[in-house]
Amino acid sequence: MPKEKKIRVLIAKVGCDIHERGALTLLTTFRDEGMEAIYTGRYQTPKGVANAAVSEDVDVIALSDHTGSLPIIAEAVLAELKKLGVTDMPIIAGGLLTQEDVKVLERMGVTGNYGPGTPMDVILTHIRNVAC
Amino acid sequence: MANIEAKVDRKAGHMVRTATQSGLELKPFYNAEDINHLSYEKDIGDPGAFPFTRGLYPEMYRDRLWLKSFIVSYATAEETNQAFRNYIANGLTDLRLLCDLPTQAGIDPDHPSAWNSMMCGGVATYAIPVYEKMLEGLPLGEAIFEFAHAGMSSFLYFYGLLVAVMENKGIDLQTLRGNSINDPIRTKLVYGCPDFPTKLDRRICLDHIEYSIRNTPNWRPIAPNGVDPCQGGMDAIKELGGCLAVATQVMTDLAARGIAIDDFGAMVFALDAESDFFETIVKFRLARKMWAKIAREKFGAKTKRAMQLKIGIRTSGLSLTSQKPLNNAARVTLQILSCVLGGVNSLDASSIDEAIGLPSLEARIFNLDTQHIITHEANVPLVADPLGGSYYVEWLTSRMEQEVNSYLQEIESRGGIFACLETGWLNEVMEAGRLKVQREKAENKRLIVGVNSFREEGEEGPINKAIRDIAYKSPSLAAREAMVAEVKAFKAGRDKKRLAPLMKEVYRATKENRNTQRPVIEAAKAGMTIGECVGVIRMGAGYNYDPLKEIETPEFVREIVKE
Repeated sequence: MPKEKKIRVLIAKVGCDIHERGALTLLTTFRDEGMEAIYTGRYQTPKGVANAAVSEDVDVIALSDHTGSLPIIAEAVLAELKKLGVTDMPIIAGGLLTQEDVKVLERMGVTGNYGPGTPMDVILTHIRNVAC
Repeated sequence: MANIEAKVDRKAGHMVRTATQSGLELKPFYNAEDINHLSYEKDIGDPGAFPFTRGLYPEMYRDRLWLKSFIVSYATAEETNQAFRNYIANGLTDLRLLCDLPTQAGIDPDHPSAWNSMMCGGVATYAIPVYEKMLEGLPLGEAIFEFAHAGMSSFLYFYGLLVAVMENKGIDLQTLRGNSINDPIRTKLVYGCPDFPTKLDRRICLDHIEYSIRNTPNWRPIAPNGVDPCQGGMDAIKELGGCLAVATQVMTDLAARGIAIDDFGAMVFALDAESDFFETIVKFRLARKMWAKIAREKFGAKTKRAMQLKIGIRTSGLSLTSQKPLNNAARVTLQILSCVLGGVNSLDASSIDEAIGLPSLEARIFNLDTQHIITHEANVPLVADPLGGSYYVEWLTSRMEQEVNSYLQEIESRGGIFACLETGWLNEVMEAGRLKVQREKAENKRLIVGVNSFREEGEEGPINKAIRDIAYKSPSLAAREAMVAEVKAFKAGRDKKRLAPLMKEVYRATKENRNTQRPVIEAAKAGMTIGECVGVIRMGAGYNYDPLKEIETPEFVREIVKE
């Protein structure tokens, strides 16, 4: 059986959101599951996230935000990726989301869109699906 | 479907643990032998008597109920003002002020990094006109205010704005009541706030306290915060230990500025009401007891007031779930009850829709009504410390005291709370706590209803759906664009001739190691923004202007700091 390539995930936070527990929980869970997970830390710019995703050659970006701004953040990150010529990077999102936010994000091609307390197995299965 | 027989499992929903949330193992029952070692006078005492385990006042809630408070902070000053009015009409007695997240990080709305969180979590209170609008018609001088911000610059600046607004209206500063969190450990440990480095945080914290003690004696200028570290992964023992360590360090630092504990007066802690009912109650009783002892034994407090610890609560947002949000009503109700049984002084309860967005009006009226029901229908607050003397509660209070004391000794042996922050040790402790909980949940040793147990398949019902839909929505792009334009117009329209020397004084006070609070009040009156306040203080202390290193120092600030 060929050795499976490790999935590389960039967990990212954009703007001044201070809520970090979700991102940190994902970080340890992904690593425990044998993925290569990188966390940008807080107070990042969309450009910084796009650059990190490209230079780290990740398979998927996981955006975390608890300010209700995920659609705005995702749009900005997508625009920065496009500037770098990347149009097929899978992006998943999680945090505070209204039903309307989820619809907007799905239209942009952002998937997952999980609220707080989502079971980890659900997120892991989804990452494995979008990353390959 | 109809021909499948329903089976009853007598073990269904059975308990999975025998320890409290922070891991203290419990016996199935407790009796007199378990509390043999305790003395009623020394360890417990009547309400109103040292060590205040049973409460601060003999009459307790008959004399004054706990303050009912909320952080009220929506996207605009107008909405926030209106919301305060609505809540006041429904029994709110304590107004918790906040601002949006970029402001808490110490940057203005026209900073490039503000965009993605602008007007989220609150008003972009970048300068005095916004504050005046937000507080318009609210009873300054009668209400009680609390500052719940994250960055240390916020306490210096927003206390400055509040004082400026009062002075402009001719209101006596003696009537300013309330508190600032102003906790220099929590700001970095939990939030990693970029505004100031820790060394500067520590000094600004003392500037605010010193000015406030001398000029606004009814303002409590620090409330060591356990809520946020607890939400970040600390358990009840380390939450309380951390607060005691911060309070002890700050009182020691204040002594060097000539402020003794009896000048300082009562201490306030901002504590978390977690889901573990008895452990939470015990934590509040123990917090009062331990601070009273430290105040008297370590700092030689002579006045009763200086031995008293007031407890302000924020119930656990982390305990709320976005799955079956109706269940949050049960969680919050139990947390509120634990606060009342634990004799707290002010209470900010989380809302049932808080795992989805900022709380809606209706969800918050529910919180106030829950407190009214506990008071008037359940008659809970009629008698102080109703659990006092319970074998279990007294044993657990004493057991937790041992644990908190060993944690405090460990902090001490590592060079004190600031050394523990700067070496990263506190962060390791918090991370270990977070991982422990995560593991317990994954292994079903800690059940969260609707999340890792008692889940339901299929579509959710209409009540849960409705809760999901009422949560407050974050501001649109157009609203954010309008805000950036507003700030730019405000900055351009100020009287720079009046502002410049006042901002220079903030810079010089920082540089010459004088108290920065009064200069900040004066410059804020002339229109200095939060971002400028942070910038000139940073420059006065020898750092660059922008904490996020994205923008250049504005031209007029460069002129100001020229010697």
